[in-house]
Formats: sequence, C-alpha cells, structure tokens
Amino acid sequence: MKEYIEYIKMIVVLSTISAVCGFGLAAISAFTKERIEEQKLLNVEGPTVKKILAGSTNDLIKDRKEIVINKQKYIVFIGKKNGAPWALAYTTDGTGFGGEMSVMIGFDLINDTLAGVGITSHKETPGVGSRVTEDSFTKTFKDKGLNAVFKIKADGGVIDAVTGATVSSRGVCGAVQKGVPLYQDIKKQVLK
Amino acid sequence: MASIAQEFTKGFWKEIPPFRLVLGICAALAVTKSLVDGFGMGIALIFVLVCSNIIISMLRKVIPKKVRLACYIVIIATFVVIVELITQAYVYSLYEALGIFIPLIVVNCIILGRAEAFASKKSVLRSALDGLGIGAGYTLALVFLGALREILGRGTLFAGSQYVINLFGPSFKPYAFMVEAPGAFVCLGLLLGIMNVLGD
Amino acid sequence: MEYVVLVITAILIKNILLAEYLGNCPFIGTSKKMSTAIGMGMAVIFTIALAGALTWAIQKYALNPLNLGYLQTIVFILVIAALVQLVEFFLKKSVPPLYKALGIFLPLITTNCAVLGIAVLNIRRDYNFLEMLVFSIAGSTGFSLALILMTGIRERYEITDIPRPLQGTAISLITAGLMAMAFLGFSGVDTALKALQ
Repeated sequence: MKEYIEYIKMIVVLSTISAVCGFGLAAISAFTKERIEEQKLLNVEGPTVKKILAGSTNDLIKDRKEIVINKQKYIVFIGKKNGAPWALAYTTDGTGFGGEMSVMIGFDLINDTLAGVGITSHKETPGVGSRVTEDSFTKTFKDKGLNAVFKIKADGGVIDAVTGATVSSRGVCGAVQKGVPLYQDIKKQVLK
Repeated sequence: MASIAQEFTKGFWKEIPPFRLVLGICAALAVTKSLVDGFGMGIALIFVLVCSNIIISMLRKVIPKKVRLACYIVIIATFVVIVELITQAYVYSLYEALGIFIPLIVVNCIILGRAEAFASKKSVLRSALDGLGIGAGYTLALVFLGALREILGRGTLFAGSQYVINLFGPSFKPYAFMVEAPGAFVCLGLLLGIMNVLGD
Repeated sequence: MEYVVLVITAILIKNILLAEYLGNCPFIGTSKKMSTAIGMGMAVIFTIALAGALTWAIQKYALNPLNLGYLQTIVFILVIAALVQLVEFFLKKSVPPLYKALGIFLPLITTNCAVLGIAVLNIRRDYNFLEMLVFSIAGSTGFSLALILMTGIRERYEITDIPRPLQGTAISLITAGLMAMAFLGFSGVDTALKALQ
C-alpha cells in the first residue's frame, strides 16, 4: 500500500510540474510570438527587402500584409513613397543545386515591371552556386517586363546564367517564374 | 556551515567554473569568440541557474527521490525555453550568435550539477545565492576568455555591439587561430594551467 | 555523392567535437582508458542514431503540425532521457553482454550535449529523413573517432613529464586544440568533392 501511494505521488508531482511548465511556456510563447516573427522578418528578409524596395520612405517590415492565394500564405512587403504605395515584394521558392532556395521578388506597381530580385536563403555551394546571390546576377532581373521569359539563355530565356552555376541560376529563374503569375492577384488585394 | 555571503562569493574563486568546477566546457569554448557573446551566454546561464535553483529548492520536499532528475530536467528546460523565446524576441543578434548553444544550456552540467548537489538540499535563499555566485563566476570566466580570444583573433573589443573598438589599427593582422576551434581549446587549457599555478 | 560529402564533412571537416564544440565534458572525462573510450564511443553512436530519428519524427509529425515548435528543447531532452533509460533496460534484459560493455556509460549520455546538439542540428538544418540518419550516424562516429584518438594520446601521458600545473584537464584541452588544428587540414575537401560531380 505504501509503495502504491508513493507511485501515485511520483506521477502526480511529475505531471503537475510538467503541466505548470507547459502552460507557463504557452503563455510566454503567445506573448512573444508577434515580436519574434517581426524580428525574424527583420533579420532574415529585412536586408533583402530594403535593397529591393530601396527608395521607400516607410517602415517596410511594419507595412506588411498577409495575403492568401490558392490557400498559400504570402507575406507581402509594401514600399511607399510619400505615403503612396509604389512597389511590393514577396517571397517564392525554387530548387537550386543544394536544395530549396527562397527568392524575394519586388514589383514596381506603377510600371508593372520587376523592381528587383534577392535571394533570402539558399543551400548553394559557397563560392560557386552562391554567386547567384550577388548583385551582378540579381540586377539582370531589374526593370524586366512581366512578360519576359524568365529562363536562362541556354533554356531560351533572357537571363544570363552565372558561369559555373547553371543549376543555381536556373533555380532562381524557376522561383521568379513561379512568383510572377501571382502578381496581378496580389496587387489587386494589396491596393484594395 | 558556510555563511550566507560565502555561498555567493565561492563562485568567483574557490569553485569558479569552468576552471575549478570542470563543467560547462562546451559552451565556454563555443560562445567565447567575442566578449559580447560570452557575456550574453553568461547572463542567460545566470537566469536559468538562479531560477531553477530557486524553484527546485522550493519543491525539494515535494519531489519524490526516484523522479527527481526528471523533475529537475523539466524545470531547467522550461527556463531554457523562456531564455530562448526572450532572446529571440528582444536580442535577435545574440540569439543568432549563440545558435544551438541556447537550447544546449539544458545539458550544461553546471545547472543540473548545482540542482543535484546544492538546491535539492539547501534553503531557497542559499540556493539563489549559490546560483548567482556560480553563474557570475562562469560569466566572468566567459567574458575573460571571450575578450582574450577577440583581442588576439580579431583585434577588436565589444564586436557585435555598437561600441566596437578597433584596438590595433588597420595594419594589424588578426591571429585568426584564436577565434577558430583549436584556439579555443588551447586558450582554455593554458588558462586552466595558469589558474593552477595561482591557486597553489 | 551528396551523402559522401555529408559523411566526410560530419566526421572530418566539421567534427562534432573538435569543430562544433559539442560533447566536451565526456570527451575530457572518459578519454583516460582505451576500453572505456571504445565503449563510450559505441554507446554514443547507438544512442544518437536512435535519438536523432525519434526526435526528428516527433518534430515533423507532432510539434510542427501542432504549432508547438517552442517546446522543442523540453520535449527533446525528455525524449533523450527516456530513451536512454529504455535502452539501458532493454540491453540489460535481452543483450547482457552488450549491457556489460556499454551499461555504465548510458546514464552519462543524457547530459552529453552531442546527443541533444545533433538532434537540434537535424531540425535547424532542415534535413530530410535520410540526410538526418546519415548526419546522426556520421556525426556520432566523428565524436567516437576523436574520443578514441584522444585516448590514444592520453595513454602516453603516463610516461611523459608534464609540467605540474598543466596536468589533468589543462593538458587534455591543449591536446584537443592540437588535434582540432590537425582536423582543420581537411577543410576544403568538401568543396573539392562537390566540384568533382
């Protein structure tokens, strides 16, 4: 009997402690969640957004919207000049040489052209495939019309691939191809 | 019976980790690439150590002996997750710099060691002071090691904060070995040797 | 080929002990005798492979869908602690010779940060199942390799005249530093292998 009580005590104590800890953590996690999300955006995507939407006068991280298209959630950053939106940017993904890569695409709302492209995360080989993150490659997308063929020249498109990093360049192009068709829908929802 | 003050001060010399108490070596090696990182880790550890010591000491009469380690681990891990969430929300750069070594505070033997050897037997006040003292001693060691490695390995101090000081000017060739893994091991080993000489 | 690179990186280039600083307490503690080191090494490989797979599955199929990512640390350490107990129990009952060889090391493994470290790295690096398995086994093999090499060196301390203040942990750390330096010589091998493809 004594042993039995001890077992119950063990279980009760352990589960009480676990429950209290679990609820405490849930509360703290709920409290910090929003800020953590913002910090992540600021540190992971922030630098890229600022580059692509350079010239904006608003707080790009704060002025973001979540937009759902085909059940997929997109975080859309909106660049404003003198209070009026002039550009937006969102992230899509492609497959490079080392695996998945996240590519942010910026659009100029006034001319309906690409405002710029930036790679926010990738697993490409340092010094080889990773060169697609450099400005010399990403700037070839800038100011292109939405109807341009976003493929590397070897595949019949308009983009110069980085020498020695064909697969990685193709990955970036794939992400852009995936992102461009969403633009009109997203633009409509943002300007609504 | 040691006086209350001694519970606090022993952490600075008599039982300073990781030198006297050879515990917590991993973190001491991994996060001392710079002074700021070392300091941040130290503060995180003090928080976890003091909080878990207090709670464990409070519950010392309730927790059955057989499941005590499981209880300690849950309590410690909870505070570690709190640190994880707070650094992520308010000091993201530190969160990035410390990387997986924030969750690994859970298995830092200093904390479980103090829980088992001290907090499970002594009063709340003593346990809190013990945690504070040992934690502060560890922080001191991390800051010292971090400063040493940063000065030699990068030629700067306080890198990672806004008060970066460039110590030797542009002609200085950093002794990069010091910020790499081998430098960490050798540095800690030599410091330990020096501590032994001073202690004798 | 991808996996060959992963194995070589985990064992030689980014050795979990000498480059990633994980698992140093048992490294210093159990590298005094060769038989102990080999036992510890085997126990670590066994536990990490199991713990890696289990924690990976829990993260993918329980924590992620339930949005409980913040509980990762607490769940992982409990899973590892429970797993170690179970393994100990299982070995004792069904494979006594293995238990005799590894048994005393098992309790030490719960607080070996290489175990939790590899489990967390598997998630942070976003490995798929196969990559996770390869990395867990290769990473723990790297640990055991470094541990056994270190023990080989430490066994010679007995016949060496070491300055008194450096005896014990200090000289072990310096030795580890020199080993880490030797392992630095492997850096670049992965890039070369990738370029071969």
